[in-house]
Parts: sequence; structure tokens; C-alpha cells
Amino acid sequence: MFADVLIILVKVVLTLTWTLLLALFLTWVERKESAVMQDRIGANRASVFGLRLFGLFQPFADAIKMLFKEDFAPTFSQRALHWLAPTLSFFFVAVTMVAVPFGDAIHLFGRTIPLQVVDLNAALLFVLAMLSLGIYGILVSGWASSNRFALIGSLRGAAQLISYEVALGLSLVGLIMVFPTLRLSGIVEFQGGLVFGFLPKWGVFLQPLGFAVFFLAGMAETKRVPFDMPEGESEIIGFYTEYGGLKFGLFMFTDFLEVIVLSALATTLFFGGWQVPWLGAGGFVFPWGGSLKVAPWAVTVLQVLAFNIKVFFFCWLQVLTRWTYPRFRYDQLMDFGWKVLVPLGVVNILATGFILAAR
Amino acid sequence: MSEVKMVGLTIDGRTVRAAEGTNVLQAAEQAGISIPHFCYHPAFEAEGNCRLCLVEIEGLPKLDSACSTVVREGMIVRTSTAPVLEARKDVLEFLLAEHPLDCPICDKAGECKLQDYYDRHGLFPGWFLEAKEKRQKKISIGKGLLLDRERCILCTRCVRYLRKVTGTGELGVFERGVRAEVGTYDDAPIDNNYSGNLVDICPVGAITDTDFRFKTRAWFLEKRPTVCPRCSRGCAVIVESVSGYPLEEGERRVFRIRAGENPAVNGYWICDFGRAGRRDIDEGRQERVIKSASPESELSWQKALADVMARIRSVPGPERAAKVAVILNSRMTREELTLAKRLFAEGLSLDKIFFADPKPGAADGFLLTEERVPNARGVLQAGFSPRLPDLDALAASVEVLLVFGSHLLDHFSEEAVSRALAKIPSKFLFSAHTGPLDRLAEIVFPLAVSAEKSGTYINIDGLRQSFGRAAEPAPGVVSEHEILGCLAAGLGLNVGEHDVR
Amino acid sequence: MLKGWLVLRELLRGAAITGRHFFANMTFHTLKLFGIRAKRRGAVTIQYPEERKALSPRHRSLHRLRAREDGKPSCVACMLCVTVCPSECLSVEAAEDDDPEIQKTPARFVVDLNRCCFCGFCVEACPVDAIRMDTGEIRLAASTRAGLEISLDKR
Repeated sequence: MFADVLIILVKVVLTLTWTLLLALFLTWVERKESAVMQDRIGANRASVFGLRLFGLFQPFADAIKMLFKEDFAPTFSQRALHWLAPTLSFFFVAVTMVAVPFGDAIHLFGRTIPLQVVDLNAALLFVLAMLSLGIYGILVSGWASSNRFALIGSLRGAAQLISYEVALGLSLVGLIMVFPTLRLSGIVEFQGGLVFGFLPKWGVFLQPLGFAVFFLAGMAETKRVPFDMPEGESEIIGFYTEYGGLKFGLFMFTDFLEVIVLSALATTLFFGGWQVPWLGAGGFVFPWGGSLKVAPWAVTVLQVLAFNIKVFFFCWLQVLTRWTYPRFRYDQLMDFGWKVLVPLGVVNILATGFILAAR
Repeated sequence: MSEVKMVGLTIDGRTVRAAEGTNVLQAAEQAGISIPHFCYHPAFEAEGNCRLCLVEIEGLPKLDSACSTVVREGMIVRTSTAPVLEARKDVLEFLLAEHPLDCPICDKAGECKLQDYYDRHGLFPGWFLEAKEKRQKKISIGKGLLLDRERCILCTRCVRYLRKVTGTGELGVFERGVRAEVGTYDDAPIDNNYSGNLVDICPVGAITDTDFRFKTRAWFLEKRPTVCPRCSRGCAVIVESVSGYPLEEGERRVFRIRAGENPAVNGYWICDFGRAGRRDIDEGRQERVIKSASPESELSWQKALADVMARIRSVPGPERAAKVAVILNSRMTREELTLAKRLFAEGLSLDKIFFADPKPGAADGFLLTEERVPNARGVLQAGFSPRLPDLDALAASVEVLLVFGSHLLDHFSEEAVSRALAKIPSKFLFSAHTGPLDRLAEIVFPLAVSAEKSGTYINIDGLRQSFGRAAEPAPGVVSEHEILGCLAAGLGLNVGEHDVR
Repeated sequence: MLKGWLVLRELLRGAAITGRHFFANMTFHTLKLFGIRAKRRGAVTIQYPEERKALSPRHRSLHRLRAREDGKPSCVACMLCVTVCPSECLSVEAAEDDDPEIQKTPARFVVDLNRCCFCGFCVEACPVDAIRMDTGEIRLAASTRAGLEISLDKR
């Protein structure tokens, strides 16, 4: 019993640390990737004892700066709510990661330890629920700012998130129809098989339209350019206008966490999670007949590595998108959500249903 | 007055009528045609040595100088034909051949006739390859005047001025031809009370004044006319001050006083004594209201004046004649004196109205008079009979004393004044300059000097001369006119302020 | 529908452009890191304090007063620069110079960089070519206003 609790605790700490470090790292990636895309160099001045490491210390410098900034709240705001809003946003996003499996279960000291904090049987619903709850952070922040513009920004944000929530949910229905489980570890395991004898049975191959809708709606959920209607820092005033210092930092951090969560979910649901193509518990079995034995510990390492590489790729893709496209106009945003993604999601469900029924 | 015979002539096609005996240059100027000239000055006879005023006169074979040609009936003069313009250019070229390029360091730059004429009539490129003649550039010729022989164009205005106007003749032209130069005889310095005019009449920067030297540039100066307050002659003067850039914000400095033109009083000249009046305007001024009880606090004169009124009011009406005394001075303008008369003599029925003026000095027989105040006639006209106060009598009976100006000390020792004032409960000083009286007074008000006021003076010959403000007063500095008007209003006396003139 | 496809095509083209820049620059950065083709830069920016762009010869930087042979400023305090200055940032006070040929020298020549707009009119106005703006000093910052009031005759 004690050992179980200890294992859970270790997994919680590890997952949280990994996620937060990745988010921190992502702030650096964001700065550097945008710089490289734009023929610039990017932040490279932060140094520890003269060691610059391509500006890798910049996130820490930023964090320290934000920590030591004055904590202020507008005069007529409710201070408790003002604090609560970023905390809510942060919490609901961070907690999503508990359901994501990082690798196959490992066997250690006679125990079977799944590389996942909790293996919920309704994990997909849990993830969707947590993502939806994040809206409260935005709403509360607008309300607590005692600033009309912030309030309007938060309402704009809520409308956007709720709209895309629909498309997000619809895009996953097809997936559930293909992999008849809501358990994330189950979905990943289903993707270990092959279709047509050589193609990994990944969600993206079974549900290409579903993936497109899911990824686009998910990007809208992260509230980043081109879907950054709620904040619109450069022109329109957004929901965290009245936030500064650590509280603003939490909001910013939440954005990066959302990017990671979206990448992790896309990986888990559509790109086989920790699955490495043709790698089974005993080693690689290639479709052209060859095979390669791999030690069990190496399999685990490869799986965790594969998961991380996939997550990295989606993070990179999202940053690339964020620095390529300009922001949608609000009516275009709503049109895109309701008139393109939602119908596509429905079409996807129908098509999946027909194909499943026909088989 | 004898009938002046008028002569008709044509200048540049314009028919001009001029009095017989005037020269062509003057006649042209009366007609609004300006002919450039250096050596000619209306105060002296024409000499015609600079050759710049050459004009074409019909019937004469060559160009002739306008300054030395007297008008004749039917004369036809042309001032801007090609030969005339060519001649001017050549004359300027000759002058500039030996004139140094000193403009950046020359105090005259900006008001230099040579600069102006070159700009208007010259504009030729210099083609002299030879080095310019070197001469002495900084010769002290007395009374703070410096002579620069390189800049001198030998117009001899200064020489003629000292011979004809002051009659002292300290300067002369020595040597001949290209070596000719202006100088003093045996280095005996110029020493007369009218030497400052040399700087005014020098058309170039050959004679400059150390008092003005390098202080500012001529184009920064703001020039406004007023009447000199230093003696009862009432000469026209021009106060030249700078305010704003390049000075600090809110700073105002008077850099010099020059002679104004007034044929009825001073002609073209003023004395050095009046010229030194520059120091009165800028030096040793009271800058703010000082209350001896709280010397550090900032106090507006209006608020401080309320104290004065309260003290006067606290003396019952019938007793005021004996217990309130005023000491005025003859530097106040005619308007202020009228106001003072109505306020103190008629409104408050004061008996004890005294005058304390600077002590008379020696007259010099030309402009400077004995009286060193500008408005002694105005005092009499206003109905005052000026008399000095008797300090002992003052000390014995007076409770409130208002002193305008600080010239009590010219007549009594500081000791005697302070002893007498110590016995008077309330004494107020209105003074433009700081002085030993300040510490004796309960409140000291900063007054404007005459250059900062407008008003009227009546000079020694009974001539009324009105003048406007020539320099902006510093903020907080107030004129007697405002003080008296405010006092009258505060004490509820109708002094008919609008008809004081 | 057609509009949708057109938009999608343009979106993909945009992503291709940024992606191409990313990979090309990343390649150059990486090569440089390993010392291969180190001269080819992956970025067009200049790392300012370490790298300096050469200033144009016409560039107007901090003023200086040229010196005479004896080391004193060659300025004769004619105040033409003061006169021409549109932002009223120069303040000059003249003093007597020992040399009768020069006579006038600045006792104080202060340029107030808080006000200076670097128009260079003072340089053009100077009759003795005493003031110039060619020091190349462009790092003009101070923590107080007084720190930007620079005495040129004392430098």
C-alpha cells in the first residue's frame, strides 16, 4: 500500500516536473524558433557565469523577473478572484497530463507499473472536461480585473473556447468509434497494430479528417495566434490586461502548457502515443520480414523517447504555425469553428460510421 | 522763426523739396531713399572721406558724394544707376581689402554697417591673394574703450565727435596714406563723460566697450526706448536686454544702454553716467517680498500689502495725520506722484509727506544736470513741496512709516536712521535695490526700476516725456503705481485711478 | 468551397516559406556551430555591443570642439551655433583670450543632449570649423539629466 502511494507520488512529481520543464523549454523554443524563421538570432544574452548556451537560461531569467515584479490588482477588483483566475487556468491544464501515458507498463520488483499517473477508464472525457474547465480561468480573470476591456476580452475568449470545444468533441467521436475505449492507455495499445500489414494502426491513418479537425480545434483552444482573439496583445485588449508579474506569468505559462497538452493528446490519440512503429515487447518485427531483438529496458526507453519526440514535433509545428499566420478576424474565427470544423466533424462521424457498418 | 527757403530737386525720378543748405544725402533720406554712408553723421559737417555715398548728378562729369553736395534748385540726382552701384561695390572692396574677418569675435557683428552694406551692395568674391596688413588689435584708449586698428575704416567719425561735440579732441589720425591710423596723442587716454558715444557712432567694430565686450551678440538684444532716469535732463535712451534663449529660463539681463535720438533734449548723445545706468537695472535688485518676521517664506506683494493696510487702518482716522508718515522720492513717475498725492495727502489727509532723493552731483555743462533724479519738476507739478524728514520728529510721533526708495541714507548716517526707525513701531520699505535699510523694515517690497515701468517724467526744462516699459520686470517685482493703486483700493479711497494722467 | 481551397493553398504556401527559412537558417546555424562554413550567417541581425556597424562618414554623433595647436578649443565663442540651434541646446559663454589675434574663447561650452536633436546645424554654422559631430560616440546615456549636459571645452 505504502509502496503504491509512493509510486503514485513519484509519478505525479515526475510528470509535473517534466511538463513544467518542457513548458519552460518551450518558451525558449518559441523565442529561438521564431527568431530562426525570421532570420534573427533570438534571445541569447542570459548567461550563468558567462555560459550562454544559446540563451537557454533566458526562461529562468524571465521567471525570476516575473517572480520579483510587483504584485498588483486594480483598485476595485476582487483580490481573491484576481488571484484565483490564473491559478484555475494553470491547474486545469496541468492536471490534464495525469491521464497521458508516457510509455508501456514496466515490470519492476515484481510490480507492474504503468508509466501514467492514473489510468482512468474515462480518461478521454476527463481530458475534455478539464480543458473545458479552463474557460473559468478566463472568465474569472475578466470579471476580477474590473476593466471593461478585459471583461469583453474574456467573454470573447469564452465564446471562442466553447465554440471550438464542440468541434474538438466531435472530432474525437470518430476515434472512439474506431478504438472502442475511452481509456488513453487502451487507445495507445490499439494503435500498436498494423493496417494493410505494414502501416502502423495510428489514429491519423484511420481518422485523417478527425485528426485535422482535432488539431485545428485544439490549436484554437490554446488561444495562440492565429486564434488569439481573447488576448490579442498587439491590437485588441484581452482578458489579462490587468495582470502583471507572477499572475501574468501563470497565464503565459498556461498557454505553453496548453501547447504541450495538445501535442501530448495529438500524439496519444492520433500518433500512437509511445508506440514505435513495428516495435513490440520483444523487439522490432519489420513488415518486410526482418526482426531485431531489443532488451526490455531498451524498449521502454525507446517508447518514452518516441513519445517525447512526437510531442516535440507537435510543439514545433504549433510554434511554426503561430509565427506564420496572422490573427483571424472574429467573424472569420467563428465561421471557421461553426461552419467548417463542426460540419467536418459531423461528416467524419458519418463517414466512420458508414465504413464501420460496411465492414 | 525765419522762413526756410525750400529747394526743389529730382532724386531717382522723384521730385523732392528740401530746405536750402541740406545736402543730397539728407534730402534723399527725407524722400525715403537711403544712400549708404560711413563717415557722414548728421551731427557733424560732411567730410566725404569714405566715398560710399557716391551718386550721379546730372551735369557733373564724375560721380559725386551725396553727403558733401548741397542741394540746388533743379538738380537731378540718380542713386541707383549702374555706375553708382559699381562705384559702391568698388569702395566696399577697397575697404574690405584691409578689413579683417573678425566678425565672429567682433561685438559689432549684427549691427555693423560694413556687414550690412556688403550684404546689400557688395557680395563680390575676395580676390586679394596678399596677406592682410597686421595692426594692433587691442589698444586701450581710456574709459574702458578698446581700439582695434585693423577693423578701423578711417571714417574719422570718432575724431570729429571728440573735436566738435565734446571739444576734448583726444583722438586724431596719425601717419598718412596706407599707414594712417587713429590714435590718442601721446597715449593720453580719453577722459570725458561722453566717451561711450564713440562706440555708438563707430560704423564698424573698431571702438568697443569692455562693459559690453563678449557678453552677448547684437542679434540677441531686444531694443526698447525709454527715458534715462539718472538726471533731470531726461535723455532718450535705448535699453538693450536679452530674455529667454540663450539665457536660462526666466532670466533677463540688460546688457547695455545706448543713446536714443531726441533732437529736443539730447540729440544723438548720452553721458557715460547715464550709460552706466545699466547696472541699476540688473544689479543689487530686491527680488522678492521679505518679511523680517519670517524671512524665508515666499510671500506675494498683494498679501504683504494687506499687512500694510491693516497697520494704517489700526490708526484711527483723525490721528493719521500725525501718526502715519510717508517718504517718497523724485524718481517716481508723474502718474505715481499724482496717485500718491490723492492717496496720502487727500485720501488719508497725511501731513507728514517727505521726500528723500539722491544728493545732487556736479553738472558737466552739456547734458548731465545737478539733480540726479528724473522727475523733480513732476513732484512740484503734482502739488508736493518736497522736504526732507526730521528724523527725531519722526521717531517721536509716528507709528506707521512707508518709505519709497532707499535714499534716506544719502542724507543721514545709517546709525541715525536706524536709531530713529527703531522707535517707530511699523515701517515698510518699498525699494528697487537692496541696501542697509532692508533689515530695519518690517516688510521690504521689491520695486520696479524706471526701465521696467511706463510713465511720464518732466525734465529740467519742463518737457513732459512719456515712455513705455523697456525691459520686462522679474516676476514678483511691482511698480509704485500698482502698490499705490492697491493701497487706495484696499483702504476704500477713490483716487480716480483712470484719470491720473 | 473554392475559396476554402484557395485559402488553404495560400496558408500552406505561407507555412512553406517560414518553414524553408527555419530549416535553411537552422542548417547554417548548425554548420557554424561545428565550424563548417562559419562565414555564412543564419541571421541578418548584428550583435550590437560586440559587433558594430561602421558609421557612415556623414553620421552625426556626439559633438566635439577641435583643438588649437596649444590645446585650447579653437572655438571663438561667436555664438553662431547658439543662434542657429533649433532646439536651444547649446550654451556658450565667452571669455577674453590672451592671444590678441584670437581675443575670444569659450569660458563655457555646454551642449545639453537632453535637448539636442542632432541636426548638425551648429557644425554648418561654425565659421572656424571648431565644432564637429564626428566623434562616433553614439552611446549617449546617463542616469541623470545633468549627466547629459556635456562641457565640450573641458573634454
